[in-house]
Amino acid sequence: MGVNDVPRDEPGRVFVLCNEAIVRAAIEADVKVVSAYPGSPTTEILDTFSSVAPKFDYRMEISVNEKVALETCAGASMAGLRSMTSMKSVGLNVASDAFYSLSYTGVIGGMVIVVADDPTAHSSQSEQDGRYFAMSSYIPMIEPSDPQEAMSMVKSAFELSERHGVPVIIRTTTRVSHQSGMADFGKIERKSFAKLAWDHHPGRFVTVAETARTFKLALLERTRKMEEEFDKSPLNIIKETGSDFGIITSGAGYNYAVDACSILGLTPSILKLGTTYPIPRKLIAGFLKRLKTVVIVEELSPYLELHVESIAREANPTIAIHGKRNGIFSEAFEYNTNIVVDGIATTFGVQKTINYSAILDKAKELKNGLPNRYPTFCPGCPHRASLYALRQALKGVKHVVATDIGCYSLSILEPVNYGDTLLCMGACIGVASGIQYAVNEKVVAIIGDSTFYHAGIPGLINAVHHGDDFTLIILDNEVTAMTGQQPNPGSDVGAGGRPSKPMILENVIGGLGLEDITIVDPYDLKNAVVAMKDALTRKGPNVIISRRACALHSDRQKRRKGEVIRSNEVAKEICKKPYTCIRNFDCPAISINDNDRKAEISEELCDRCDVCAKICPFASIHLREVE
Amino acid sequence: MEKGVFSIYMAGVGGQGLVLLSNVIGSACAKAGIRALTGEQHGLSQRSGSINVHMRIGQNIRSPLIPIGGADVLLSLEALEALRYVEYLQQGGVVLMNSRIQHPIAETALHVKDKSATYFSVDEVRNRLSQVTDKIAIIDALALGRDAGNPMTENIIMLGALSVIEAFPVPEKSIRESIAENVPKKAVDANLKAFEQGKGHAYEHLCNVIKCRK
Repeated sequence: MGVNDVPRDEPGRVFVLCNEAIVRAAIEADVKVVSAYPGSPTTEILDTFSSVAPKFDYRMEISVNEKVALETCAGASMAGLRSMTSMKSVGLNVASDAFYSLSYTGVIGGMVIVVADDPTAHSSQSEQDGRYFAMSSYIPMIEPSDPQEAMSMVKSAFELSERHGVPVIIRTTTRVSHQSGMADFGKIERKSFAKLAWDHHPGRFVTVAETARTFKLALLERTRKMEEEFDKSPLNIIKETGSDFGIITSGAGYNYAVDACSILGLTPSILKLGTTYPIPRKLIAGFLKRLKTVVIVEELSPYLELHVESIAREANPTIAIHGKRNGIFSEAFEYNTNIVVDGIATTFGVQKTINYSAILDKAKELKNGLPNRYPTFCPGCPHRASLYALRQALKGVKHVVATDIGCYSLSILEPVNYGDTLLCMGACIGVASGIQYAVNEKVVAIIGDSTFYHAGIPGLINAVHHGDDFTLIILDNEVTAMTGQQPNPGSDVGAGGRPSKPMILENVIGGLGLEDITIVDPYDLKNAVVAMKDALTRKGPNVIISRRACALHSDRQKRRKGEVIRSNEVAKEICKKPYTCIRNFDCPAISINDNDRKAEISEELCDRCDVCAKICPFASIHLREVE
Repeated sequence: MEKGVFSIYMAGVGGQGLVLLSNVIGSACAKAGIRALTGEQHGLSQRSGSINVHMRIGQNIRSPLIPIGGADVLLSLEALEALRYVEYLQQGGVVLMNSRIQHPIAETALHVKDKSATYFSVDEVRNRLSQVTDKIAIIDALALGRDAGNPMTENIIMLGALSVIEAFPVPEKSIRESIAENVPKKAVDANLKAFEQGKGHAYEHLCNVIKCRK
């Protein structure tokens, strides 16, 4: 498997996740400093760097947030070392303040920023198109379409970064990041880590007023030079067939376009752009000149399409441009081959051999009544117990819930349906401050420990300073759970198992001058409800910390120690079918037997948090007897 | 239909080892010099939710996603999840389906309100899928996995069944090597046994409807 192959010495072809290929390429390119905050679909970059870290000498931090991660890489690359950070689309929003300035100051050592967009918002709060960041910051952007290209493009990105003294974005999307495929690993020839002497030129990396104006003119010149270079770059590929029909595409769109043409039996000329900022305008102009029709295959916004339109105005004013602006493709959601087949077939009036919409209609009919299965809290998840306790404590109290980004966000899905607002990392606290001005209901904000450290602290400082009246619930499960239980500032280990100093959450909050802190264990349900009820009646701001390790995380530790995870069962002779263990608890391990209508607990799924046993009014749930 | 491609749509519930399964097949392809690619789901979707992995084997294929109606095989580690992705199955394609059902919490919540409701059943799934194909194999992978010595080998049981299909282009030898390299060390024996169990079951129950390897 890829992650095991990443550190191997010998070159060769392996089946590898694109995110792992990116790490291998960075290691081959002798990256020296790595810093990132997890976020899907980039998380495996951080995980892979962390898991192979003991074998190499790069310095790595699992950072508190994307902004600090980017700044850490910036500092290292200002000094002259190669660095890499990775973040999901919206992670760049957090890092953007430093990001824009960094385009002005530039760097000396190669710096690569991997940014992954998430069309269809599989695991994000929006479908944000990150390509506009490149355009508005004048930071160059390169887009691979598979693991093999990711390898070579990451290496090119480091070289480009050093050649022009600017960080380079590797832009992917979910279907590139989470694509496994074949990649050829090269040789690992790394220099041993050595500190450099800071090259003193006062003001060299200072951007403000006069220096900013100087930097601006220089970066325009830099961008012009890069555009010239990209016009001839091997990162952009033209497959010329002599057809007067062409396709311009990049990244994931290229994959669908190639397969769609093969299904339709069409052989258009294809321009696959690897460099999508600065746009190689001369290259595109030359390509357009030979065509009557061009189809732009790109997900999300019509970014390439608007550029092509402006280039065509001079290069080929009569060319027909098909894409999102004439409704052939949508700006919503990710593509698939069938979507591109439909788009191209519509453009050319080509007969399709397969009617996708008929298949989808039939499937819809066949799936009538099939129950939804949204992601939810794992069996044993402390969030289930915390939210159950919270709802018990707030019984009869009208309240508003501002929630946040993390596993606990899943409470908004069917059938739990709990939570009123969710914007972005850390927003629940600021939003709660606003809601408490606006309504009479009790205001509750819910945030996880990692998200609190990431972007919640300024909001709480603000609330304490202004005396805003709400209760903040911090679900402290020791890890950044949603993305795969990475360490966070509350952990005593960091990347590669390196010891690190754990923050004590109550001390951090106490340090802000907030004294009303209640700590509960959600597994100790009765006491948790009483303590929460009490705290929720007091004037805010106050904090309830619900502390219990992530079930996946603690199960892994238990298994490592050889502990067996037992399960509960329902004593059918005692169960009187009140369904208390199901209502508002919604554990995937508990279902209702079709025959006797009594609750049942799955031996395979149960994690034995034992909270359901504490809820049952008839004490019918107990430890399963082992044969 | 696309030529020279073998597409497997894999479905299941978060935590069932779907990504590991696709990794085992992909690494086996690498060993055998065959090109393969996948479109995987990581992250949020793991939390007991519905998950899928697109797996494509073929020298010229580019898209990691299987187009609608493009899967040669729909392999599901959970019965309801087979029906959930039926649109990806080719007319007449093969369904390899675990008979295990994990009842979704939304369905259970509904049953608290409606006392006469019954759960969606394996038979119901089979009946509906049979409108698209007659090549359906239902496998009690949990029971076979327990026989193999580890109930967590459901994914490899299903791989055993997949491996007997004549059109599946990956040599058995590479698969066995790949299993040994990719599953946890102490579970290698149970997984290789599970692979045999799955094969055996398929030879008995699947090869009457589809062409199998000799």
